[in-house]
Amino acid sequence: MTERNRSRGIGRRQLLAAGSTAALVAGVGGFPAILKAQAPAIKVGILHPVTGPLAYSGTQARAGATMAIEAINAAGGIKSMGGAKLEAVLGDAQSKPDVGAAEVEKMNEAGVSAIIGPFASGIALATTQAAAKHNIPHIVDVGVVDQVVTRGLANTFRFGPGLAKVVDTAIANLVALNAASATKAKTVMIVHEESAFGSGMAKTLNEQLPQKGFEILETISHPNPTRDFDNIALKIKARKPDLIIPSNYYGEFVLLARTLRQQKVEAKAIYSILGGAASNFRFVNEFEDAAQYIIDCNHWVDPRKPEAAALRKKVEDQKLFFTYEVFLNHECVRLLADALERGKSSKREDITAALTSSSWAGHMMPYGPTKFVNGQNEGAAPVNTQIIGKDIKVIFPAAFADAKPVFPMPARG
Amino acid sequence: MMPSLRLSGQRALWAMAGVAIIGVVLPLLLRSDFWLNFAIMVLFFTVLGQAWNILGGYGGQFSFGHAAFFGTGAYVTAVLQVKFGINPWLGFVLAGIGGGLVGAAIGFLSFRYGLRGSYFALVTLAFAEVLRILANAAAFTGGGVGTLIPLKQTAANFQFVDKTGFYFVIFALMLIGLLLAYWLENSRFGARLMAIRENEDAARALGVNAFAIKLGAISLSGALAGLAGAFYAQYFLYLDPRLAYGPGISVEALLVPIIGGMGTIFGPLLGATVLHVVGEIARKVMGDAVGLNLALYGMVLVAMVLFLPNGIAGLARRQRLKPKEERL
Repeated sequence: MTERNRSRGIGRRQLLAAGSTAALVAGVGGFPAILKAQAPAIKVGILHPVTGPLAYSGTQARAGATMAIEAINAAGGIKSMGGAKLEAVLGDAQSKPDVGAAEVEKMNEAGVSAIIGPFASGIALATTQAAAKHNIPHIVDVGVVDQVVTRGLANTFRFGPGLAKVVDTAIANLVALNAASATKAKTVMIVHEESAFGSGMAKTLNEQLPQKGFEILETISHPNPTRDFDNIALKIKARKPDLIIPSNYYGEFVLLARTLRQQKVEAKAIYSILGGAASNFRFVNEFEDAAQYIIDCNHWVDPRKPEAAALRKKVEDQKLFFTYEVFLNHECVRLLADALERGKSSKREDITAALTSSSWAGHMMPYGPTKFVNGQNEGAAPVNTQIIGKDIKVIFPAAFADAKPVFPMPARG
Repeated sequence: MMPSLRLSGQRALWAMAGVAIIGVVLPLLLRSDFWLNFAIMVLFFTVLGQAWNILGGYGGQFSFGHAAFFGTGAYVTAVLQVKFGINPWLGFVLAGIGGGLVGAAIGFLSFRYGLRGSYFALVTLAFAEVLRILANAAAFTGGGVGTLIPLKQTAANFQFVDKTGFYFVIFALMLIGLLLAYWLENSRFGARLMAIRENEDAARALGVNAFAIKLGAISLSGALAGLAGAFYAQYFLYLDPRLAYGPGISVEALLVPIIGGMGTIFGPLLGATVLHVVGEIARKVMGDAVGLNLALYGMVLVAMVLFLPNGIAGLARRQRLKPKEERL
């Protein structure tokens, strides 16, 4: 050893001196970044149905969540916790509630501090319950069915609005749009898919629309998947409703809209609520003609906020479509990051407490500050969008609007 | 003719005793909730597979619609509880009766008109689909929205705070399934059922009342599947027509005994264990690569069906029948 050091021209004493100087410099604070222990990463369960029938939505949702985690880490992590980084623990619910619940168990073993997901209501009912057993705070991204937050689970927080709120807002906005229009819409036909989402929506609409003066001519349900909408379109054409209200998932929504266009079905509006494709740029890009003027009441960003435009660009740069799954999950991760910053702890109970008292206003949604009452963010609300040209514009409420509504829509020929 | 894969009565009883001991000890060894959940799901699919095995494995009546019985059991317990406030333990028993009655009704309509083979399989599939559509349309099932059982975690309410409670319920159900299979292998009823499987016309010629025996088998099978459905409803507390009557459950029900060994006592247990272990290994191997674990799982299934036509139980039997020197 000595020989070798000598041959390189460094003696034992010099080596000791250099070593102790380096230690002293580092100790004094010359290399704080090197010396400081890296704050342990905070594990976050990102649970979505990335395979199975809901794979498209699940993949979009996962992309939104991971983008937010990357952005938070790139900006220095959770600053109040020494720059602790977020680490995604990815899970696939395979579009099944039982698999979703099993994934929660796995995430618990992996030591996650919180879980974000799982897109679908049926899966959310199982995962929130499984998470409750381990006191894991579970931020529900979409899962609009109201029972998700009405079971008294202290660990469950839904960032977006629930179904009742969406339907109430959609009906109120429809009444307002109709009142402001010279030619009033009076008759309605509802086309819905037959699972929890579409059936629940149709039931509520059948209860509420007649009270607002609308006459429901017919309610048509269809199974998932349905590939031929000719008969339904022809039925609508024959009954000539003023409003067509579709309530279905992406594929069926696109096919219905295309068939209505092919069959030259005219109406004052196609007014969808949580429409599978009505607020989706993929639909606008691929079927611009069929998509024109479709109105939707859905989750959407506040178009006036620069962060929303920046995220849209980032998403589109990655060759993805800017859909509600992406930005809702992105914002759910940021909501969690805010709770971690304030709570200064990655312990589950501390995160739950921080989320319970959350009043986060730094999001890009058209919401007020977050305020969780029984797990539901009371500040959350949907907006009305309309496809105009190649863009999706917010038309209602006026406070967030970046375009005037086109209602009734012009004859499409 | 189906090769005999039966264990002798004495051996089967010893094996069942071994399974019972392992099953009782297992929750003490499993410290992790994930693995406990894994064990519960293996046992759940074993029960469902055993239900199919009674009719398909021992009776040779291949059903593609066991979801009809499963879903009925699940809905019976959920609806009675939610709409009428009936205790879920009583609902659990009634779910078994409900599954059995639906089995009897489908069996009566199918066997009465001599449906066999692929015709019977298609009819069962159609019945499950009809029930799915009815559940989707009826108000008392919650329609497409489904039924949510309120969360109230007490053992009296069949909602255990600890998963161990669920484990022992499904374990007991699995043991009942094993005993039923054992009884089929060692009873007159079972002998007649297996005679029908081998050659129905010959069995008839020997005086076997094929209609009554098949009706009994489908009722028994339906009852066990109904109990599995009730367990599912209590474990996940949510049901919708697709979960209850969808084709996914029917496929799982037949896959488990086909992989494990049809017409054997332990085939469904072997099949469910192997399928879940393979599924978990595929996830580990493929990590976060979306969908590749399912592709790998599918490939393993294809290989199993190709190379193990009599299931895993058949492989064990083959090893047992090999001459000693060949085994060495």
